Amino acid sequence: MDESDNAPRLFHFAAAFGAGGLLTLMVLCNGTLAAYGSLVFSSWIPHLTGSAVALALLMVLRPNRAKSTRPPLWAYLGGVSGGLTVMLTSATMNTALALSGTIALGLAGQVFFSVFADMRGLFGLPQRMPNSRDFVSLALIIAGSLTLIFWGGKP
Amino acid sequence: MIVYAALALLAGVLVGLSRQINGRLALSTSAIESSFWNHFIGLAFITCVAMIIGGLFAGSPQSAPWWAYFGGPIGVIFIAAGSWLIPRIGAAHTALLIIAGQMISGVVLDIANGAPGNTVARVAGVALIMAGMWVSRGGKK
Repeated sequence: MDESDNAPRLFHFAAAFGAGGLLTLMVLCNGTLAAYGSLVFSSWIPHLTGSAVALALLMVLRPNRAKSTRPPLWAYLGGVSGGLTVMLTSATMNTALALSGTIALGLAGQVFFSVFADMRGLFGLPQRMPNSRDFVSLALIIAGSLTLIFWGGKP
Repeated sequence: MIVYAALALLAGVLVGLSRQINGRLALSTSAIESSFWNHFIGLAFITCVAMIIGGLFAGSPQSAPWWAYFGGPIGVIFIAAGSWLIPRIGAAHTALLIIAGQMISGVVLDIANGAPGNTVARVAGVALIMAGMWVSRGGKK
């Protein structure tokens, strides 16, 4: 396989980068809610309004189902994992790890799992082996992120 | 301390797990349907937790600024984008590019808000991330 076959196309690339920008706005919104209400509230409200908005989008856009066969039942449980994440991070944020440690370890967990999931094709997604270019890119992005997390906020 | 570090690490694993599962659902349905189920099942789960531990409406959530209530709709697009991307560019590329976008937009937001920060560290961090993105783009047009 040609080494560059693995590289994301420009549109995919821009979409993923843009999604990261959305994540910053989402964290800002939910974090602000948590400053006024409880932590559970700051996770409950976005799930409530998100369900309503997604349902409205489904009814208006009526996207075609990709396959006529039903997906396995466990494929509907992604939201439970997301809900657990909120609880774990709110628990560790108030320990000696603080926000920066929580974010840094969270990034590490996410990246290790993603690489492993790609290599095994976990949960029925396409299997793909990372190449040396991917690992260089991974190291640079993680190094940059850790620099921002631990030193970027210090005056 | 080790326990909390393990929990923080596990939280990251769960983010990846959730994206992998939602991506699998989107493969059979659509990115928007996957985002709907993610939010709906998540809502059911958090509602159960709220009923067990209580205090859902504690504090003064009614005094939060109006825009703070827009995290949900933003999340719908975010989850749909992740579910759409993961079968196309893989879990690692999806995760790393989202992290890159989150980190760089975070710096922009901090600067816009006038949050205190170390300019050298910010420049170095953003430069490293952009170098990583450049490498990941490879020779592809």
